Amino acid sequence: SSWLVSANRAVAPPPPPQRRIMPVKWVLYWQPNQGSTVSTQILNEAAQCAESINGVKEGRWKATLNYYKPMLRDQSNHPDLPRDFLGISLADQPSKYYFIIRSQRIVVEADATIQLIMEKLQSYKSKVSLYFDGFQYQLGDFRLRVGRVVPVHSESIRGIVMEVEYLPISSMEKARKVMEEFVEIWHEALSKRSLSGKFVNSELNFGEFGLADTYTPQHTGVQYAIVMAHMIATVQPVVRG
Amino acid sequence: MQSLQQSLAVSHQSEPDAPPKQVAQAMERLNQAARVIADIRLGADRILEAMFVASNPRHNDAPLQLFLKEDASMRQHLQDLRSIGKKLEESGVLTESLRSRSNSWGLHMPLVCPDGAVVAYAWKRQLAGQAGASAVDRTRLALKAFTDQKRRFFPHIDDGLKTEPGSKKHRASHSLLEHGGEEPVEYKTLPDIQSRLEKLVPNVKVSTYGRLSWLKRASSLPGSGSDDDPSEESKPIFQSSSKMRSGLHDEVVDKVAVIELSFPSVFRAVVSLNPAGSVDPDAVAFFSLDEGGSYLHARGFSVHHVYKHITEHAATALQYFLGFGTGTALYSLLLWICSFESLYSKPCSKCGKLLAMDKKSSLILPPLHRAYQELPLAANLSVCEAYHAGCSSDGS
Repeated sequence: SSWLVSANRAVAPPPPPQRRIMPVKWVLYWQPNQGSTVSTQILNEAAQCAESINGVKEGRWKATLNYYKPMLRDQSNHPDLPRDFLGISLADQPSKYYFIIRSQRIVVEADATIQLIMEKLQSYKSKVSLYFDGFQYQLGDFRLRVGRVVPVHSESIRGIVMEVEYLPISSMEKARKVMEEFVEIWHEALSKRSLSGKFVNSELNFGEFGLADTYTPQHTGVQYAIVMAHMIATVQPVVRG
Repeated sequence: MQSLQQSLAVSHQSEPDAPPKQVAQAMERLNQAARVIADIRLGADRILEAMFVASNPRHNDAPLQLFLKEDASMRQHLQDLRSIGKKLEESGVLTESLRSRSNSWGLHMPLVCPDGAVVAYAWKRQLAGQAGASAVDRTRLALKAFTDQKRRFFPHIDDGLKTEPGSKKHRASHSLLEHGGEEPVEYKTLPDIQSRLEKLVPNVKVSTYGRLSWLKRASSLPGSGSDDDPSEESKPIFQSSSKMRSGLHDEVVDKVAVIELSFPSVFRAVVSLNPAGSVDPDAVAFFSLDEGGSYLHARGFSVHHVYKHITEHAATALQYFLGFGTGTALYSLLLWICSFESLYSKPCSKCGKLLAMDKKSSLILPPLHRAYQELPLAANLSVCEAYHAGCSSDGS
């Protein structure tokens, strides 16, 4: 009888929370030169640049990002509550949703259906929603995504992000040199087009967020949180509603 | 054994043939299939030849006739192959229904592994293995006894096992010893090679497997889509036959046929030995650590370009090492594989960069080549310079 067999086995501890293994990804953002603005033209140039280094266009990619703010009756009674609460859905993980509280260094993976609960509870409302919209390219073992950042219900482009993935490696440390040199190659190819700005990588300490060397979707979520913070700081300030 | 035979004969009255006959039939069909495949290959050659001749403007009828004849015989061959394949499938050879056939006397149907190797049934291999093992063991014991005696009574005769660098002994048999490396006399057995490698290269993980246990491991690696816990899968398949072996020599039934070399976070390399249990490598392939599946074997190819290219380069290096014919091929190959630990960190010795656009494949790749000409006699890996395929001096 099966219950006897299972009783004899030592009780295994519950498995640690699943963190999927993925290839290493860097998220870069476009930093326009002083006095320049970001435009869709840069996206087209980047796309052509990818093709110039033998990139193969694979199709569109999309992602969405929401800034949440707590709906409190009296904000002044709770000065410690985080004001910056980000929710992001990633193209790679359509059934998941990622929450990041940057100031507290917290990143959490949830099922995508949690957005339903958030809507019902109305305890945190989305004050800004952004779309990432662009294309995906395959360059051998590298995968590139370039897209513009556009607020929902608007056509004005707020920024440009670029994802670079190196498929054979899932260790951040081991992939570091490879990614650095790829970004150099990318910059060199892009410099031939004399654009007024460059793609910047956001250096950050994943350890502070409790993330390890092996790359996971949570790493992507955190990178986007940082990238958005930089983008907001360097481009026109967002009108906080 | 007789009463067991009788009782099994009674219980399997519904079976048309006794298990040894089924297994023998399966082996015979596999041989037939191999012959038909050879015929198909020849037929394909003839068809191509006919098409080539037909493409020359000679306007005679001969190529057409040849083509029609070959077409008919090819169709017949393919039909034969299909029917043999069907029979093999029914008897459980080509599918992984190995376990389901293990009810009879500890015998198992032959299994065709994804890399094309045929693993014959355990019973026959077991007997063959026993006889072979005791002969090898006897020889090994005799050699050990002789060496011990020689060392004891004739200590002044250097037996070559403890040479200082630059030793002049054994010049006659290994004229390439000028380099001053240690003579690889100690590296003739797999355990010696393994321990030597692990001492020289601290980060490497070396594991050995029989062909079937490797197949199981490959299919259960993360990335293969399988949800099995890999540690559960390492039990040997032929456990049921161990009960039959009581009293016989306690030798491993599943001889070592696969060596896995891995560097955490970098790559995994799979080397196959042929024949199993020997130290003769015959194929090698590289894979990412995040890959898994039954295509992970010494003749398989990774889904990633970088490892595909290294695998092709490794085939050349392997041929070079085998060309020495001194039995050092396995150690040289494994040592050379270890030089790829720096795959993602060591820039090319020619252009100084880590990544470069490979002209032939139009891909951005790290230095995939490692110099192998200085092995097998080098003492360490510093002689394995890194090069991009395009920067490599042999231009391959």
